[in-house]
Order: sequence, then structure tokens, then C-alpha cells
Amino acid sequence: MSEPTRASVQAVEVSDVSKRFRLELNRPTSVKEAVLSFGRRDVRHLWALRDVSLTIDKGSFFGLVGHNGSGKSTLLRLMAGIHRPTEGRITARGRVSALLELGSGFHPELTGRENVFLNGAMLGLGRRQMAAAMDSIIDFSGVGDQIDAPVKIYSSGMYMRLGFSVAVNVEPEILLVDEVIAVGDEEFQQRCLQHMESLRSGGTTIVLVSHDTGLVRELCDRVGWLDGGHLRSVGDPDEVVDAYLVHATEPT
Amino acid sequence: MAVNHTGPSARPLRLSPAARTGARLVRSFAERETKALYKRNVLGWLWSLLKPLTTVAVYSLVFGVIYRATAPSTANGQAEVFALYLFSGLVVWNVFYTIVNGSMRWMDGVSELRKKIYFPTETALIGGAAATLLQSSLEALVLVVIMAVLANVSWTLVFLPVAMLLATLFALGLGFAAAIVNARYRDIQHLTTIVLSVGFFMVPIVYTPDIVPDRAYGLPVARLVELNPLNSVIAVARDAVYFLDTPDIADLATAAAWAIGTFVVGLAFFRRRSMAISEEP
Repeated sequence: MSEPTRASVQAVEVSDVSKRFRLELNRPTSVKEAVLSFGRRDVRHLWALRDVSLTIDKGSFFGLVGHNGSGKSTLLRLMAGIHRPTEGRITARGRVSALLELGSGFHPELTGRENVFLNGAMLGLGRRQMAAAMDSIIDFSGVGDQIDAPVKIYSSGMYMRLGFSVAVNVEPEILLVDEVIAVGDEEFQQRCLQHMESLRSGGTTIVLVSHDTGLVRELCDRVGWLDGGHLRSVGDPDEVVDAYLVHATEPT
Repeated sequence: MAVNHTGPSARPLRLSPAARTGARLVRSFAERETKALYKRNVLGWLWSLLKPLTTVAVYSLVFGVIYRATAPSTANGQAEVFALYLFSGLVVWNVFYTIVNGSMRWMDGVSELRKKIYFPTETALIGGAAATLLQSSLEALVLVVIMAVLANVSWTLVFLPVAMLLATLFALGLGFAAAIVNARYRDIQHLTTIVLSVGFFMVPIVYTPDIVPDRAYGLPVARLVELNPLNSVIAVARDAVYFLDTPDIADLATAAAWAIGTFVVGLAFFRRRSMAISEEP
């Protein structure tokens, strides 16, 4: 059994995690089709992650690199609890705030403000806590008066900025960021990076998935490299990123 | 008599963090559903009464006036108004119908969201059901006010909310299952509409149970109507608000067993399957 002293410094613990997705070509989308295609279904399984084990220390900045389809986003989703591992165990200690792909978890029909409350509720925060954070969320996002308009009319930039703003202003203990910062303009990117730095110095654990290897080298304490669902290496950012880049530029 | 201030009732209600999160989400989704229903109408809540009242008027015209169906007398014997007999069953049916149908829509409304952030998906359906129950309470209130005008009220009215709550649980149980299956096979929502429109005539809403023949076309019709779980729920509501009788304990027990059983099984099925649905591309 794990010793409490050691366990308490690890924010995320991934032990022998494998994730299998079920893929079906031409999956029937109605009962009628299902009956007609009975016995002729083409079901395949894809292992997005295979026996991945790693630990992320509390308060550290962890980077994940790898090609498209290497399992980075899947691993992040598992950490966020959106998916469950097929095998193995994943433990995240503390409130997880995730910013996955473009836009995070907004309900298109609700206004920005309502979505902030809804997101807060999903993260376990009450209305009072969210109301207290509302001003800084609106400020940071630069959405302005549009906060009371339904988010479906937002531009993709506004959508993303509000998503990021919520994710970082709810005092997350673990912040998962998937590539999103690349979408905003230069000025917003800078603010995001600054904000992540200040969160980290406040004790927040940050996991960043990025194709920007320069950014990963600059920000991260440790980096993991995923290749075809396997964890190729994990450790010092420069070493891992160099190895990844050498591999990436090799002719296949 | 001494009052025990340190007893459990004196303490504020304390929920686990997960339960608190769930309760907040249910509230958020309920508010969202309520707003979606009434935001665009100046008449607001009153507008929502138009549909059930129209249904009462149309069925009363067809069955009460044209077919001359007669309703049993109310408790005080003053009224044999078919429309009120109908209304007292319809109030419960509307709760059931709206929740079963709505479950699939509420599920679809959050399925994209659920792929991006984890939350217990069942809270969206429970929230929708809570909003429906609130809206139906208004219908029930109209019914009770009419009954009060006719001086046909009694303490048995307390069983009306009980019946509506049981209809909610029963409908949610079925709605959980329908939402999961519909997420995979999109024609389930059309099938559900058909099944529900048949179901409406399988419960004594527009007719009284005593006119149902024992057998017709070789089918034990009376038995089928009697076995329909909603029959017991509607019987409880009718006793409560129309006949002003204490509901038959057998009806109440049957209704409660079906409602709670269906809810528990439906929720367990939903929880088992909803994770897989959020993983679909």
C-alpha cells in the first residue's frame, strides 16, 4: 500500500493504464438499420493507450508531446474523468479543471454567464463562489457585455477565451490544458501563459499538451512523449523533446 | 415537553460533496429547461396552461358531448362533469408523457458537453423532470381551484402531489432507458411517440375503468388496462382530487413499487451505459 507521505506529493498517478476504443465502420444509427445489418457488422477495437504509467508531482508543470493520434488527448481525458481506463488505474488528487480542445464544456443555448455557473457546478463550486469569481472571469476573457448572450453566437475566439478564463479562475488544483492557447491572439496567449505561471507558483499542478516544442521546453519541469499509445520516454524536457524531434524528422 | 435542540432535525442538512454537486447541476438544468419553455412568451407561465386546457376541452367535446360519456359523481355529488374527471387523470399523464419524451431531448442537449467535461449525465434528465413537475404543478393547481369552486375538496388532496411524484419517478426510469437507447438508435424517439400515443388510451383517462369489456377481439382488455402501472397512479390521483377518498392502499403500493423499481433499474442502466456513449466519436 502507498505511504501517505509519498502519495500526498503526487497530484496525478497513472498506473498501467490502457484505453481501448470501440470503432465500428458504418455503425447502424437506427433500429431499422441494426436489424438489416444483423450479423454483418464491422467492429474494430483501437488501443489508444497501452500500459502507460507515470506520476506528476504536485505543483509541477508537466508536458505531453507526440504525433497526432498518439494518445495525448486520450490521456488528458482520462485524467479529467471524461473517460474511464479500460485497464489500470488513474488517480487525480484535487479539483481538476480541464480545457480540452476548443471551447471546453459550454452549453450552446445558455448565456456565457449561465455557462459559468454551470461549469462551476460541474467542478463542485457553488453559485456564491462563482458569483465572487464572475468579475475576474469576465475581465480576463474580454467577452464584455456579450457575457449575457448565448454562447452559440460567440466567435471561436470568444468561446475559447471564456473557456480558458473559467478554467483558470476556479482555483483549480490540477489544470489540464490541451493545445488551446495556440488559438488566441498573441496578446491573449501571453496573458494565458502568465496566468498559468502564477497558478503554478500558487501550487497548481498543470498538465499541458502541445505541439509547440519551444513552449514545452520553456514551461515544463518534466515531459512525457507518447508514440502510438505507448509512453516512449518521460523526464527532462530538453532530452525528451530532442528525442521526439529526432524521431519526428526521421524519414519513415 | 422538552425540545431537543441537538437532535438531527436541528442540524442543517449536510450532503456529501458529490451529492451537493449533483444537486447544483439538477438545479441548473431545471432552471435552463424552465427558461427555455417560457422566455419567449409574454404570457409566461399562463401560456403553458393553454395546451393541457385545450386537450381537456377537445376530449370533453368529443367524448363528453358527442359520445355522451358520463363521469361518476364527485364526492359531494354536485358535479358529474366529464371534463373534470378527464382533467384529474390528464394531470398525471402529462407529467409522465412529457418526462419520457423529454428525456431523450435532455440527453441530446448535453451529450456534446459531456464529451468535454465530466459530470453525472443523469442530472440533466433529473433537472428536466424537476422542471416538468413544477410546470405540471400549475396545472394541478388550476384543477384544485376549480374543485374548490365546486366545493369538492378535502384533506385527500395531499395524495395528488404523491401521485405526481410517483408518475415522475416511473417516467424517469423509462426515460433513462429511452435516452440511452436513443443515443445509439435515433429512431427510438419516433417509436416512443407511437408507444406513448397507444399508452394514452391504455389507461382510463378518457373513459372510466368500469366500461371496459372483459374481453374484446380475444384479448383480456380489462385485465390489460388494470395491469398498466400508470393505472394505479392515476387511480390514486383520482381518489385524491375527484372522489376525495383515501387512496386504495393496494393502488398506492402498486404505484409506489412500480415507480421506485423502474426508477432504480433505469438509473442503474443509465449509469452503466452513459460513460460508453460519451466515448463515441
